[in-house]
Amino acid sequence: MKKVDIPLLKKVANNLMFDMKDSEYNTLLEEFDVILCQMELISEIPGVDDVEPMTFPFDVTTDFLREDIPTTPLAQEEALKNAGEVVDGQIRLPKVVG
Amino acid sequence: MDFLALDILSLHQALLDGKINPIELIKLSIEKAKKDQNNAFEYICEKEALAAAANLDPNKKHNLLWGIPYVLKDNFSTKDIPTTASSNILKGYVPIYSSEVYLRLSEQGAILIGKATLDELAMGGTGMTGHKGFTFNPWDPTHKRMIGGSSCGSAAVVAAGIVPFSIGSDTGDSVRKPASFAALVGMKPTWGRISRFGLFPFAPSLDHVACFTRNVTDSAVVLEALAGRDEKDSSSATAPLEKYSEAIKPDLKGKKFAVIKEINNSISNPYIHAVFDATVKALQERGAIIEYVSMDMKLCKAIYPTYIVISCCEATSNNANLDGIKFGPRFDGKDYEEVMTKARTEGFCEMIKRRFVIGSYALFKDNQAEIFLRAQKVRRLIVDATNKILEKCDAILLPASPTTAPLFNGGNSDKLSNEYLISDNHLAIGNFAGLPSIVLPLGFENGLPFGINVTGKKFAEAEVFSLAKGIEDITKLKDLVAKEDK
Repeated sequence: MKKVDIPLLKKVANNLMFDMKDSEYNTLLEEFDVILCQMELISEIPGVDDVEPMTFPFDVTTDFLREDIPTTPLAQEEALKNAGEVVDGQIRLPKVVG
Repeated sequence: MDFLALDILSLHQALLDGKINPIELIKLSIEKAKKDQNNAFEYICEKEALAAAANLDPNKKHNLLWGIPYVLKDNFSTKDIPTTASSNILKGYVPIYSSEVYLRLSEQGAILIGKATLDELAMGGTGMTGHKGFTFNPWDPTHKRMIGGSSCGSAAVVAAGIVPFSIGSDTGDSVRKPASFAALVGMKPTWGRISRFGLFPFAPSLDHVACFTRNVTDSAVVLEALAGRDEKDSSSATAPLEKYSEAIKPDLKGKKFAVIKEINNSISNPYIHAVFDATVKALQERGAIIEYVSMDMKLCKAIYPTYIVISCCEATSNNANLDGIKFGPRFDGKDYEEVMTKARTEGFCEMIKRRFVIGSYALFKDNQAEIFLRAQKVRRLIVDATNKILEKCDAILLPASPTTAPLFNGGNSDKLSNEYLISDNHLAIGNFAGLPSIVLPLGFENGLPFGINVTGKKFAEAEVFSLAKGIEDITKLKDLVAKEDK
């Protein structure tokens, strides 16, 4: 497992596109002490690598196609309703190309 | 008569008998909601609810939920009604479509009077992390104790007698644990039984729609209204449905319960043990068979780590869409990355950020096999062990929680103790396996409630309700409303 320190935590947070206060990184580092011990409990299970990972409780199969009935799509006005800045029917963002 | 203290079926009868009409009932509920002392509401739908009550179709008055007020956790989309998931990153967000749960309840004539607070984005089990601050437990008028979470507001409004039922979501125990702390019935059915269309995803392989009521029969009534295949949710099940409220048979004779020793023994509170043991004895006197069974201790101790790894990993990717661009508060920046980073930095609370970092760490290329995939493998082992137990019995019976509602400032519990790893988090087994699982009141210690849990076989909701009703007949703890006089 990758060693956990403050620079690593900052890098992960920034990759996730947010930042945290210095005190919050310290709290998180302390939390990792416990989390890593808890994660080790997972590795202690006998035969753990002899089974397949479980991604859902059980299979729910959807094996039919819906009826081909025309429906009204989302109106542009509605799609943009919650966006902070809208110009000419598009969401406005800072210019990225000179 | 205190109509708001009545259960669903009694309220339904009162409406049919003309003792009160829907508009009067909704007004009563809204007035009480406005006086809420527990910080349980994100939004009170006064205008919308009164309009809905005025427009109720009288031809549908025989529907059991017709004219009945209720509350939704604020992570269910409601068209034209603000929905924030108690997060600043969704401040001001007004959905453009409705969740299937809201649509089905509206179709039955149930009236939404408010959206309830939650732990931000439904992550957390304390009711302390929503953007409006702590949600309080109505059973502690001094406001020193939590009600649990993440469905904190949904639990508080039923416990305080504002509505007879509410809807929450349950990913690890987010309805059933608060039910234990608030003398309520909290029920999550089989994974796939209720459509999750329009429910903000936290960890989809574990997320369930669930409900709070004040008795077992009401819980069955609510499930009846919600259960069934929804083509908008490809994970919703096609399994046959039952008329759950009519299928309840509380006869316990010959019914077999398994008590998992390692989970039960990890509880240190002697009073909870004593009340649980007395209830087990009463069950036996009514002809039930109780078997004490074992689950590998290493598997039991892995319950919480498995949950935290899988849920954080799923949450990290599911919430990538919360960018402050398409919706949510907009911040200035020199490029879209800065806009997004500012929105997420300001929009998420510390706990959410910590969980995302934990999830991302477990998903690192170097860590994935050792942490994430292994957690998914342990999940399979826990589920296999649970289903093996259920092959030989009708249900698993356990205390729902090892304590009554904890204090807000109770200090950090030992997160490596057996009590924390096992009995404080064992309800997550029901989410791992997708099994129907119900919590109902078991007793009170120093005026604070604690619950008992029944978990049954896949799609055996009717059996779970019957067994729970049998227990409710023994405890006689039902229709409880907290008195909030300080």
